[in-house]
Amino acid sequence: MGHLELHNLQVQFGGLRAVDGLNLSLEQGELRCLLGPNGAGKSTTLDLICGKTAASGGSVIFGGIDVTHMAEYQRARHGIGRKFQVPSVFKDLSVIENLEVARSQHPGVLASLRVFRSRLSGRMDEVLTIVGLHDHLHVKAGNLSHGQTQWLEIAMLLMQDCKLILMDEPTAGMTVQETLKTADIFNSLRGSHTMLVVEHDMSFVRVIAEQVTVMDQGKLLAQGTVAEIERDPKVRQAYLGDEETADAAS
Amino acid sequence: MNTTFKTDIIGYGLFAALILFVVPWAFAFDGFELNTFARYLTLGMVAMALALSWGYAGVLNLGQAATFGLGSYVMAMHLKLRASASSYNGMPDFMGWTNVEVLPWFWEPFHSLTFTLVAGLALPALVAWLMAVFMFRGRVTGVFVAIITLAFLVALQLVFISEQRYTGGQNGLTGLAPLELFGWRADAYSTSFYYMVAGCLITALALGLAVVRSKVGLILRAIREDANRVRFFGYDVARYETLAFCVSAALAGWAGMLYVLVLEFASPTYMSVPFSLGIVIWCAVGGRESLVAAALGAVVVNMLEGRLSSIFVEGWFLFLGILFIVVVLVMPRGLYGLFSDAVQRLQTVSPRDRGGKVATKATPLSATPAVKEEN
Ligand SMILES: Nc1ncnc2c1ncn2[C@@H]1O[C@H](COP(=O)(O)OP(=O)(O)O)[C@@H](O)[C@H]1O
Ligand SMILES: [Mg+2]
Repeated sequence: MGHLELHNLQVQFGGLRAVDGLNLSLEQGELRCLLGPNGAGKSTTLDLICGKTAASGGSVIFGGIDVTHMAEYQRARHGIGRKFQVPSVFKDLSVIENLEVARSQHPGVLASLRVFRSRLSGRMDEVLTIVGLHDHLHVKAGNLSHGQTQWLEIAMLLMQDCKLILMDEPTAGMTVQETLKTADIFNSLRGSHTMLVVEHDMSFVRVIAEQVTVMDQGKLLAQGTVAEIERDPKVRQAYLGDEETADAAS
Repeated sequence: MNTTFKTDIIGYGLFAALILFVVPWAFAFDGFELNTFARYLTLGMVAMALALSWGYAGVLNLGQAATFGLGSYVMAMHLKLRASASSYNGMPDFMGWTNVEVLPWFWEPFHSLTFTLVAGLALPALVAWLMAVFMFRGRVTGVFVAIITLAFLVALQLVFISEQRYTGGQNGLTGLAPLELFGWRADAYSTSFYYMVAGCLITALALGLAVVRSKVGLILRAIREDANRVRFFGYDVARYETLAFCVSAALAGWAGMLYVLVLEFASPTYMSVPFSLGIVIWCAVGGRESLVAAALGAVVVNMLEGRLSSIFVEGWFLFLGILFIVVVLVMPRGLYGLFSDAVQRLQTVSPRDRGGKVATKATPLSATPAVKEEN
């Protein structure tokens, strides 16, 4: 049994079936890329897994537990973490404060009442070193550059240290170097964390992914290695056939 | 940021010194003057309570006077019973006038001082908790919270006015006995009484600061900015909001109890809409980002009222309204905002502190919510 399993997952918006009978299984420690043309239902699938959107049918099984009907904060406590498509750091809080919020291993009110200082050693120090924000500890997140904001968000994910990381287009707007560094980080997380990454940039996908899942119109279209997927005629027709739209899409 | 932590502690120390030493000295230890100032301090306490939920959690409670009023009636019921010991059935005089034969059951426990002191904090907190469960579990936010709390205030005041047999109705509870605490008799016009009130405010401020200085304060600020994002980290947002709302209510109840001691009567006007909106204005003038500033705002505005209302008489509410508009337009962060901007500017001028590597192993969680134009 996989670490994350989706069984016949469905959701409708009005008459539109954004996700339509999706089945998916991720092994423990696997990094899976989720591809598909714009509007295929990739973001919605992540929403269904993390609890932002309620499923209208099917189930989400995580670590053997049915989380389909849990509130989002409960799923987060089980170890499901999410990076959104739009950068969503807390702009009014400083870098260190953002990370302290992300350090959420003890999310209870009573536990929080007893914490008065942010420990900079241990995990915090490691994470800051990885993303290179040591010199910006007390800068308000709203004043960071676009790239730094992306790093902060990844740092928050690392700080949260969730077992399953859901990422929606993590490299959007990044320079080539930044993208490569992101790929390094993902590769280092492989094995210890299960990851599901929505990504458009095929060169990036080739670097990080072993297995790729392609969605179209809410359904699973194809699954396999990058090479297999790129050869698949169904995929070429639905998505890759037109490289330009695929690359331009966001 | 370390500096906001320092600002908070220094501000708190200065405020404590001000009300403990400077004010009594400035009024030459005159009991009557100090009684007036004690009233300002209790109003400072309720403004501080509002800053906790409005400034930090972003929960605008327009009905803060409801919990204040509950606290005041709790205290007044105890004092009324003490004053009525020798009357028919030990009942308050107004009950006799409305043909009540025996003391209602819910008045009985207020014979006990301990019960009264606990209830003055717990009853407002309990009422707030019920509202919080309803509002925050249902994810009610923003202006709807303001409307619900305001509606609750109006309903509560109506009940207290209409149930005259049990509450004294429009007249409230008057002819109260003085409070006796550990053999100390509270004389509202004594210096010792003033110090008791000042001590309560300083203690309440310390409690409030402990809450907002802890990680709870940080999570509340994060919730204020993006509640959904906070949920995806595993925090139960409703619980945090509920905590802020209930602590705020308990502190307001405490202030209400003191208010009755200062004025020596309880009145349904303590639960009126204008009074409740007044709390919002004091808080905005001082600056809702800081508990100390909010308390100071209440003191300053009420001192102004004391001076100006004798000149304008009827015009005071108009003045207060204009003051509020000016504050919202010109200094949305209140006096505290002006002050902290000035400090910030001074710091950018001095190159020290800049770019210095942080060598410490820990940094205090800062507790100053940043600017937000809305609300
Ligand atoms: N909250 C919503 N309400 C209505 N329609 C939505 C909502 N979210 C997504 N959709 C629709 O569902 C489809 C899938 O969207 P999405 O999951 O964002 O696609 P993508 O694969 O590009 O991330 C789109 O047609 C989109 O318009
Ligand atoms: Mg998308």
